[in-house]
Amino acid sequence: MTALLRYQAALLLRSQRWLAPCVAYAAFVAVGIRPGDPVLDSLGYAAAGLLPFAAWLVRICADNEPRAARDCAAAAAGPVRVQAAALLTGLVGALIAGALGSGAAFLLGDRAGTTTSAAAVAGGLVTAVCALTGASVGALCARPLLRRRGLGVLTAALGSLLALVLAPSPAHGAVSALATGARSGSTPLPLTALAVALALAGAAGTVACLAAERRG
Amino acid sequence: MGRRYGRRRPWVLRGISLEVPPGTLVRVEGGNGGGKSTLLRVVAGVDAPTEGRVGGRPKRTAYVPERFPVALPLTALSYLTHLGRVHGLGRAEAVRRATHWLERFGAAGHARTPMAELSKGTSQKVAVAQALLAGPELLVLDEAWTGLDAAARRELDLAVAERTAAGASVVFVDHDPARLAGVPDAHHRLEGTSLVPVAPSGTAGPRVRIRAAAPPGGVLPPDLAGRPGPDGVVVLTVDAARSDKVLRILLGARPPWHVCTVEELP
Repeated sequence: MTALLRYQAALLLRSQRWLAPCVAYAAFVAVGIRPGDPVLDSLGYAAAGLLPFAAWLVRICADNEPRAARDCAAAAAGPVRVQAAALLTGLVGALIAGALGSGAAFLLGDRAGTTTSAAAVAGGLVTAVCALTGASVGALCARPLLRRRGLGVLTAALGSLLALVLAPSPAHGAVSALATGARSGSTPLPLTALAVALALAGAAGTVACLAAERRG
Repeated sequence: MGRRYGRRRPWVLRGISLEVPPGTLVRVEGGNGGGKSTLLRVVAGVDAPTEGRVGGRPKRTAYVPERFPVALPLTALSYLTHLGRVHGLGRAEAVRRATHWLERFGAAGHARTPMAELSKGTSQKVAVAQALLAGPELLVLDEAWTGLDAAARRELDLAVAERTAAGASVVFVDHDPARLAGVPDAHHRLEGTSLVPVAPSGTAGPRVRIRAAAPPGGVLPPDLAGRPGPDGVVVLTVDAARSDKVLRILLGARPPWHVCTVEELP
């Protein structure tokens, strides 16, 4: 599995297809986060932007390998593990970008009304929740479940939007908890949202990996 | 087992039963679009069968797809090293074997060329090298010879013989009926959605087994297919009617081969 992850990471980095989502996310963070804003607001903002970024990056990873090359890797390691490695590579990329984005929000934000450690823990949790939820959306809107590129991009964009605004979504819950916390002066600890996001990502990943074996 | 691409689509394969014992070479033939590639994908474990199951597939399985002009953002050597590691090799070993197989197929000069810039033939050499470099116990070749030059085709014939001699199973499809003629242990044909065994081509006449030793540095002349036997000799099994011609080719090669034994098979 380590070798597959290394291979997928090399494919992603050298393909340079990560550039567009990274530039978009960096711009989103740079535009929206100003020094002196309440830190919890800034962290929530950075995490919300991470969700579509994660969906985009996971979609790139799932579609990155040409079919013939994917078949060779699938014979060597099994189609399930090849798909899992692609999805995990995207998720790890999203977590790294999320760490940078929330790191910036954390350093620039005003920590009045909260403590440094509480804000750091809350920011880390919300970042993880948004990365996992976005990765789930990406996994469900890419090969092998959705093969048509246009349809995949459209559903991923729509799915990301819905994951941010719909109440049952763990990302919506975690981000709005941070916003409420910033108003009320308390720092939330969105552990339930993290558990839901982990379960969601696990389910979405399993569906995509099993489909990789069934549909090739 | 059976396989179809979707619930409302017709069955491509149905009621297929195929056993591939270790050390055997299996040929599958059939018409265009007849499901050969689908069968090989299932054998290689790239696709799961829709019904039934495939059991006992060895851990080290390698597959050469029908077409391999892939635009990967990696060099040939880097791609092969990654695949070697996916097959479970260590880094140094993967690099060593990747270099070795590129050399054997005459593509060593392209080791540092990006995959996207390789010619179709060189791409195919990389495809074959990725399959062979792990020393697979099951090797699945879907028209792997297509696009290779004559020297590389001979090298692949030899590599297939080496794999089966080492106890690995090889399943292949090739449009050329003369490919490895007389060598496969089993021969099947896809008719409709089912697989039927094909009787050996030489049913009418007796067969002759020739054991011959190569001269130093000598390679098996083209048009001949053999497998390495014990103590360094090459074993060729041919139709009796063709045996005189095969012996002439061996003895007339420059440098000539040494024929150790000729025996008629029961």
